[in-house]
Amino acid sequence: MSQPLLEFRDVSVHYRARAADTTAEEIHAVRGVSLSLAAGEKLGLAGESGCGKSTLAMSVLRLLPKSARLEGEILLDGEDISTMSWGRLRAVRWAAGSVVFQGAMNALNPVHRIGDQIAEPIRLHGSLGSSPSTSAVDRRVAELLEQVELPVERARAYPHELSGGQKQRVMIAMALACEPKLIIADEPTTALDVVVQAQVLDLMTRLVEERGIGLVMISHDLAVLASTCERLAVMYQGELVEQGESAAVIARPEHAHTKALAAAFPTVGDPVYRYAPATSSPLGLPEAPSTSDDEPAEPLLRTEDLRVTFGGTHAVAGVDLSVAPGEIVALVGQSGSGKTTLARAVLGLQRPTSGSVYFEGERVPRSASGLKAYRRQVQLVLQDPTSALNPRHSVYEAVAEGLRIHKVPGDEREHVAAALEAAELRPADRYMSVLPHELSGGQRQRVVIAGALALEPRLLVADEPVASLDASVRGEILALLLRLRARLGLAALVITHDLGLAWNIADRVAVMFRGELVEVGAVDSVLRSPSHSYTQSLLDALPSASVLGR
Amino acid sequence: MADIPATTEPAAEAFGGRRARGGGQSTVRYLATKLGGGAISLALVAVLGFFLFRAMPGNPVRSVIEGRGSASYEEIKRIKAEWKMDEPLWTQFVDYMGDLLRGDLGTSIKYRAPVAELIGERFWWTILLTGTALLLAVALGLLLGSRAAWRHGSRFDRWSTGTALVLWSVPTFWLGLIMLVVFSVGLDLFPTAGMTTPGGVSGGWFAELLDVLHHLALPAITMTAVIYAQYLMVMRSSLLEEMNADYLTTARAKGLRDNLVRRRHAVPNALLPTITIIFLHMGLVVSGAVTVEKVFSWQGLGLLTYEAIGVPDYPLLQGTLIVLAAAVIVMNLLADVIYRFVDPRVRSA
Amino acid sequence: MTTNQSPRNSPRAVAWTRRRAALGKVWREFAANKSGLFGLAALVVIVLVAVTVPLWLDREVLSVTRATGEILAPPAGDFWLGTDHAGRSVLALTLWGARISLLVGISAAILSVAIGTIVGMLSAHFRGWTAAVLMRVTDFFLVLPALVLAIVLSTMLERGVGTIILAIGVTSWPSTARLVRAQTLTIETRPYIERAHALGGGHMHVLSKHVLPAVLPLVLANTTLAVGSAIISESTLAFLGLGDASTVSWGGMLKSALDTGAVTAGAWWYLLPPGFAIVLIVLAFTLCGRALETVLNPNLRER
Repeated sequence: MSQPLLEFRDVSVHYRARAADTTAEEIHAVRGVSLSLAAGEKLGLAGESGCGKSTLAMSVLRLLPKSARLEGEILLDGEDISTMSWGRLRAVRWAAGSVVFQGAMNALNPVHRIGDQIAEPIRLHGSLGSSPSTSAVDRRVAELLEQVELPVERARAYPHELSGGQKQRVMIAMALACEPKLIIADEPTTALDVVVQAQVLDLMTRLVEERGIGLVMISHDLAVLASTCERLAVMYQGELVEQGESAAVIARPEHAHTKALAAAFPTVGDPVYRYAPATSSPLGLPEAPSTSDDEPAEPLLRTEDLRVTFGGTHAVAGVDLSVAPGEIVALVGQSGSGKTTLARAVLGLQRPTSGSVYFEGERVPRSASGLKAYRRQVQLVLQDPTSALNPRHSVYEAVAEGLRIHKVPGDEREHVAAALEAAELRPADRYMSVLPHELSGGQRQRVVIAGALALEPRLLVADEPVASLDASVRGEILALLLRLRARLGLAALVITHDLGLAWNIADRVAVMFRGELVEVGAVDSVLRSPSHSYTQSLLDALPSASVLGR
Repeated sequence: MADIPATTEPAAEAFGGRRARGGGQSTVRYLATKLGGGAISLALVAVLGFFLFRAMPGNPVRSVIEGRGSASYEEIKRIKAEWKMDEPLWTQFVDYMGDLLRGDLGTSIKYRAPVAELIGERFWWTILLTGTALLLAVALGLLLGSRAAWRHGSRFDRWSTGTALVLWSVPTFWLGLIMLVVFSVGLDLFPTAGMTTPGGVSGGWFAELLDVLHHLALPAITMTAVIYAQYLMVMRSSLLEEMNADYLTTARAKGLRDNLVRRRHAVPNALLPTITIIFLHMGLVVSGAVTVEKVFSWQGLGLLTYEAIGVPDYPLLQGTLIVLAAAVIVMNLLADVIYRFVDPRVRSA
Repeated sequence: MTTNQSPRNSPRAVAWTRRRAALGKVWREFAANKSGLFGLAALVVIVLVAVTVPLWLDREVLSVTRATGEILAPPAGDFWLGTDHAGRSVLALTLWGARISLLVGISAAILSVAIGTIVGMLSAHFRGWTAAVLMRVTDFFLVLPALVLAIVLSTMLERGVGTIILAIGVTSWPSTARLVRAQTLTIETRPYIERAHALGGGHMHVLSKHVLPAVLPLVLANTTLAVGSAIISESTLAFLGLGDASTVSWGGMLKSALDTGAVTAGAWWYLLPPGFAIVLIVLAFTLCGRALETVLNPNLRER
């Protein structure tokens, strides 16, 4: 093998963190990583948030904050980045290696036209000669936009006029502008919908392959990486714990952390993962319930021709959905499909334009007092537990909040303790005086669940309950939902974009598209043999490793 | 109020992206909304002007009487008739609004002349003074503020922020007095009062212009010193907010020089909120004009306001209040319209 | 289940321990801010002087008729800072002047911040026409030249300390309202507000348990800053002759200095002490407020 395109030699990155109480503290973001990438090769860098993968990627162009200290060597095309002069570094940036940033939303300057932003590195690095004519630059920008399949006129658009997927395409066009040998893609598709995500990934891999560009792709989603990259490297707490051929790493993960990551993205259609989210909890998983396709006589919750309209936009356009007692229903769809609005309407947080919600056969009232009683029965679990808890309230106050609002009789402390126990935060006493920021993401989500359980509800509405949690925690929270259903007979309406989650825990699935339910049925039948083309397209968009038989 | 807490925003947000792509509000509608808002504000100024002077407990008549010590019944009646205060409130209001629309602001007690005329004579002098100070302050504030934020924590930052904070704590009129004592009385470099040399200067229009500038220097510098400090702080904090923005990392990754990252990417983004705040706080500049004009005897609207306090000359005070308030409202309206064409984000917001 | 329940561990006690710890932390962070500490020290001295001055400096020294010094004499002998146009000690006048500045500054700031906080919170929390009207009114008053409005108010009402406080207070609240409104809007987009609604909490619950505690630190910092501007406004009104003529104030002293020709006579000792006093006290409040702001800024703390 000839000289590698990119080589990390024993790279470490330390941050000098200025903590609030003025004690300086060193954080070791990356420790002793050695890794190399051949020209034209595609490498996936996987790991949970905070594992140091982004820090490692940003160190390639020395884009680290001032408080960071870099040790070791980073050779880009044989040249050591860490000892380069500023002038040389500026010349290398973008011309030798460019970056597709996470969340193109903020990575593009809001006040410049995208054409100008793409043209900027072209002029700067003189890839069209030292002082190219305006028309030459315009032609090049048009060519790049065509390559990323955007209409050429969009060059005059501002970032906010583009959709998320379009913005990411602009980022890709920008990254290709100076024909670099290396592109670093930092979570390039994280904020995008599954379908768009698949399109953007396809486009990026195709362009990179055609041009023989080396690619380092960073993601927390092992399946996405496995479907695009030949090699995988897994990071954990700043260290490289495993690397190898993608297929081998996925099929036979060696390190415990890789196993957890791999299990977090279940193969839809594989019976092994049915009712079996990845969990290492000693409490185990309850028996799979006996499922039947026919709806029960008396659903716990039922919506009838529910509609929500925002100024001409039909967010929810006539939905009939039911949840039986003790049933877990997954409501899947892309963002903007109206699934969150539907959930809010069910909870009475959003006044429906027309139609009604029935709970145990009775119409849910719209008055504040009537809703208050209803809200004891139906509880909400939000996506991001970090922001779902008031940072100033202790765990005790967070869990007791509902009890206080409803003036639940009995000893408050006992109720709180029972709820914490139910959410498997044990021993309950140890958690009561703790503030949310002292807990891990998974523990915070358990606190949110405990707060809901304290009111002894019949139904949980969970909006993307694991979307913002790390892969290894995901399975634990899902397993908790399954155990709660088995133990308390708690029904759940789980809103998600993740078909794997539906496969993991749900009895029935309802697929939502543009405000309407296009397909409702048992998980086994809908996800194995979808009847609606939209469901099929959602399944097609899953990274190939996570659908059985492809 | 809806009985369900109607927090529709997050849900609406999910659709915001789609709406933004649709091209947003039309220019006509935007202008109509802004002009409508401005018109309401102007109407509110007129109403405020009326009620402050007619419906407040200490109405003009009482104050006038108090000022004279005693007044006979006839005298009170005469004053009331002169102020049309013997009529019902709503007829007074209708008359007042009618007069206002015709541009009639009443007759000054002190000058025995139409208020509108007095204001017309002084208006441009105030514009000259505040305009000069404003331009200087904006230029100085934005330049120093952006540099201070970019080199945040450096010696330059500490010095310029420190100076700004001290100047911010200085009452405008006192700074004016000190300038007067040092540069006019002490060093005799500048005239102590007025806008032109009494009796005029010989040497044609250029000499006259120089004469005005000579008189303008001290008051303009005084005003600039106090308001630039505020602009510096605003610009600095706006830019600091942008400092960690992802698009700046993109710009650096592209290989741009630090200076270019600041000028081309960071500053344009920080500029727009800064300009918004500057225009919103235009009232402060006007307030500053009152004291500066008094200290330097600059014959503008501020001095006119001051002169009205002493008498007290209610029609004059009312007139200056309405004109000054209307001026800042119109300025803000202009700023709103200009944004429409400057900031792409506003264009479809 | 909860067998090890001890009284020390009761939720209330836990909450109090936490609050004490939080307060301690705020103080440590504040103390690390040098300019904030300087401001605080200056404030303590000024407040002490202002409160105790009647105990050690007879009010007699303020009397025009019983003045003992020469007219407009430069600093010398008994008069460390010279005398004014009536032969009174400028030092004594300056010391006594602190009282009215602090009284008006603090009262007006509290009045204005209270109005601003209520208007800001309500206009952000509620939707519909009430909020629209509140916002419209806030924006209207924000744009108006506050000083001119205060001048009109104090001309219309009876002269006195109360009038000045009222005039400054009711004309300077809009910026606080905007700040609190923005902060409330930020807080209300947080999912924990949604969670509180879903738990069944009403407007009062959300406002008092979540919004107000989150807004208060900001309001506190804002009040400190507002005192500074209120003191400037007070001295300006006094300088324009709208003050309470029966009390000594720094603005009033400067007015007399200008009116009696002290400026043209170059009597710097009559000009500098009240001016420096204003700058010092305003700067002290500003530095304190800014330090508090950095320590308490919820945007920086919640991350």
